[in-house]
Amino acid sequence: MTPEEVAQRIPTYQAINWNHIEDDKDLEVWNRLTTNFWLPEKVPLSNDLQSWANLTEDEREVSMKVFAGLTLLDTIQGTIGALKLIPDSLTLHEEAVLSNIVFMEAVHAKSYSSIFSTLASTEAIDNIFRWTREEPTLQYKAHEIIKHYEGDDPQKRKIASVMLESFLFYSGFYWPMYLSSQARLTNTADLIRLIIRDEAIHGYYIGYKYQRNMENETPERAAELKEFTYDMLQDLYDNEVAYTHDIYDPLGLSEDVKKFLHYNANKALMNMGYEPMFPDSLTDVNPAILSALSPNSDENHDFFSGSGSSYVIGAKEETQDDDWDF
Amino acid sequence: MATTLTEQELIQSAKKLPDAWQNLGYHELNAILNLYGPDGEIQFEADHAAARQYFLQHVNKNTVFFHSKKEQIDYLIENDYYEPATFAQYPEQFVFDLYDQAYAHKFRFTSFLGAFKFYTSYALKTFDGERFLERYEDRVVMNALYLARGDQDMASRLVDEIILGRFQPATPTFLNAGKSQRGELVSCFLLRVEDNMESIARGINSSLQLSKRGGGVALNLTNLREQGAPIKKIENQSSGVVPVMKLLEDSFSYANQLGARQGAGAVYLNAHHPDITTFLDTKRENADEKIRIKTLSLGVVVPDITFELAKKNEPMYLFSPYDVEAVYGIPFSEISVSEKYYEMVDDPRIKKTKIAPRDFFQTVAELQFESGYPYMVFEDHVNDANPIKGRISMSNLCSEILQVSDPSTYSADLSYEHVGKDISCNLGSMNIAKTMDSEDFGGSIETAVRALTAVSDLSDISSVPSIAKGNSQSHAIGLGQMNLHGYLAREQVHYGSEEGLDFTNMYFYTVVYHALRASNKIAIEREEVFGGFEDSKYASGEFFDKYTDQEWKPATDKVAQLFIDADVHIPTQQDWKELKASIMKHGIYNQNLQAVPPTGSISYINNSTSSIHPVASKVEIRKEGRLGRVYYPAPYLTNDNLEYFEDAYEIGYKKIVDTYAQATQHVDQGLSLTLFFKDTATTRDVNKAQIYAWTQGIKTLYYVRVRQLALEGTEIEGCVSCML
Repeated sequence: MTPEEVAQRIPTYQAINWNHIEDDKDLEVWNRLTTNFWLPEKVPLSNDLQSWANLTEDEREVSMKVFAGLTLLDTIQGTIGALKLIPDSLTLHEEAVLSNIVFMEAVHAKSYSSIFSTLASTEAIDNIFRWTREEPTLQYKAHEIIKHYEGDDPQKRKIASVMLESFLFYSGFYWPMYLSSQARLTNTADLIRLIIRDEAIHGYYIGYKYQRNMENETPERAAELKEFTYDMLQDLYDNEVAYTHDIYDPLGLSEDVKKFLHYNANKALMNMGYEPMFPDSLTDVNPAILSALSPNSDENHDFFSGSGSSYVIGAKEETQDDDWDF
Repeated sequence: MATTLTEQELIQSAKKLPDAWQNLGYHELNAILNLYGPDGEIQFEADHAAARQYFLQHVNKNTVFFHSKKEQIDYLIENDYYEPATFAQYPEQFVFDLYDQAYAHKFRFTSFLGAFKFYTSYALKTFDGERFLERYEDRVVMNALYLARGDQDMASRLVDEIILGRFQPATPTFLNAGKSQRGELVSCFLLRVEDNMESIARGINSSLQLSKRGGGVALNLTNLREQGAPIKKIENQSSGVVPVMKLLEDSFSYANQLGARQGAGAVYLNAHHPDITTFLDTKRENADEKIRIKTLSLGVVVPDITFELAKKNEPMYLFSPYDVEAVYGIPFSEISVSEKYYEMVDDPRIKKTKIAPRDFFQTVAELQFESGYPYMVFEDHVNDANPIKGRISMSNLCSEILQVSDPSTYSADLSYEHVGKDISCNLGSMNIAKTMDSEDFGGSIETAVRALTAVSDLSDISSVPSIAKGNSQSHAIGLGQMNLHGYLAREQVHYGSEEGLDFTNMYFYTVVYHALRASNKIAIEREEVFGGFEDSKYASGEFFDKYTDQEWKPATDKVAQLFIDADVHIPTQQDWKELKASIMKHGIYNQNLQAVPPTGSISYINNSTSSIHPVASKVEIRKEGRLGRVYYPAPYLTNDNLEYFEDAYEIGYKKIVDTYAQATQHVDQGLSLTLFFKDTATTRDVNKAQIYAWTQGIKTLYYVRVRQLALEGTEIEGCVSCML
């Protein structure tokens, strides 16, 4: 082909150039996500076996349901959600970041399986996976999210994704945070905190991209999307309340979990640049949960306490002759 | 000046809480400490309330009630909770008086974590684990009665020293003293492993035995032949150190299931061992499951020559331990690599491989980011400063124990042909602030040295004969120090400042004098010195040169004034000359006296900042298997003195290394030195810190900690530990 012929071919493929960044946020988030890379094998989950044996029957059932529910959500996000967002990307770098998110969601989904296989029998695992297929509130949120992932509105895809990442996960995250504040299943909580560390960034980033896209929309369309967002959140919230009662009523924790839902619903809205929906008086989350939620890596532990959730992959840099000038 | 709050002040503070919080659980109250109040202030009162609620909601309800001390003691002895022998050494009335003395101090825990930690992990509980049988004062009295061995004056002094917070025995001692069902009182064990199957098998057995009894165990793998080394002269047979590490890791986690405290172990390897790269790679995030090491701690032993090779950017040769032992007739660990390096390079009988030393250091730094490991032992610094005859080739689980050892040999049935000398250490720490407040500084140090010596005398680890032998000959102890940062902040001195360094120097200078004097007094009383005293630099007098040949005094007015105000006498050259004469004549009882451990749990109970490093955070997040996630305010921190509580990540490695360097010159063993980095640091920054530490004469480096703050936009608002 002559250069002219090549130039006429459509489409023209572009090579990603990380030396020309259109949106600095892409690089910032990429760096953070790669620094945070981890695999579930890092966490010595089997150290929780004794603690698991000391949970009551109800508590074990809640744990199984919570982790199964989370598995389903991460499966959706890894195999459908984040993938569907890629074609909508504004930049090649955004595609790269999203592909990282896709992979980490797969890691998360696998992590829950690590928890299951460490703590529960094959029969119990099979039963709980059957439950995820039969539980109507769980299936409802899956359907609602996937409906928009597969629809034809790229902005609604992002809204659905932020709902998932910043809101729907948290009814499940509550439980390991609650247990770990009482020194139970602490290694499992370490693993979940690694997931939270990732999801916090995912929701934030997708919400940020939603806002960038919004800059190109007409005011009418912006108003429509805003209304859509609040409607969708209200709908998902109602479903989430039912789900919460279903799971947490046996332990009497539902009211506390609901406050946590309000808190995170507001967080999801903020990620998309919207005003919170719930007043402060309804978001006074149990301080033990709120403090545990911090995605910082700063807890102090020692060799008697497992690996913690604090280490990151460091940037390599060669030493120079000057450094060895002693 | 901020000091410890009284009981009434704590209750008043707790009552300042809004009504809405009065009924919260103690965990929730404690977590509020990590959330800023409406005016951006740290809510200390929430933590005070948490401690109070912990007693009201949990401790008081779950404590077995006795009508009198007599009833309590009789019950505990009859039901096999306490050893009757401990009480038999004292008149009955004295014991009751001692309890009265302890309770008269009206001790109260300042932080929730202190109380929670004590009752969760230390207090005696009914065998079903449901109810408490001891309060804090009871545990202190049991420690005093047990460690004083019938000496009433000593028992009474120990009660005061511990309750007033000056001296805090290490966890194994504080936890176990006087109990019938208990583990050992010793903190730390170090084992040699030689290059034969019997020694490896013994090492594993000893690890199991020692973990079961509740101590941390470290093993030196430097002498094991490398992967691919010959076995019975047939090449490519040995599988190297990694499979041994796997066996050890599994052993520790097994013993962990049976013991009262979790098993924990460390392995050390010389940087010039051919397996060094695989050794390090076991900690990689993406290591294969077959070689991955999760819970075992790693340490590398680095000689000076490695730094010099890195400086010149010349290749770094690794030597087959199998060949080295064949050529020199002694194990690899007994050889100074720095001294014999070029000789070994030129010796064709020694098989060698080469790597780039700068790559080696970079790999170390990468792994420290990912896992916090390996620790580092700068073996030439360690041996240059060692006053005892023999070679130090490893350290322990916290990198502060540095002692000489001697190999054992075994028959094929694993019985001993020759019982060598392995290492154990009894630890306990002084609270620097409280010790400076002591009306008798030297007396406080002496009481601590005697208490630690008692632990050594009372310990006989018969399950591991090489440990028992080492202990009976050396009577080694490790007197540690903690709350340096707390003290400095209380006195309005910045950590690592000129005054901070000056104080550290003078404090440790004064401590070493009193520690040696105490050990000398014990030797005189008992007419007994540690085995090998006559070959030591104490006996030759050489050790004392640096103290008798020059005058040590504060360099700053501030520090001079601190010692004057505290009425603490700084030893003079004349004091040293007299002590030197007495020691050369009568000797000292303890082969080793000082070691500065990282002090986790006991510093919470004692309301101290850990060890002598800066606080990790103004409000620290502590995570432990038994505690969950708990929040701990820096001791002496108020909303008015925040500027003195810059955290370790802000302070940076230079000031930390400088502080440790001041202390190191007065400490015969090691000091656990953690390096702290922000996540913006690269491996090069870590390497620079290591080079700096090495040039400043630091002996060992402990963990590397990296703090990553949440990406802007994803943080939890108003969280204390999240902000700077």
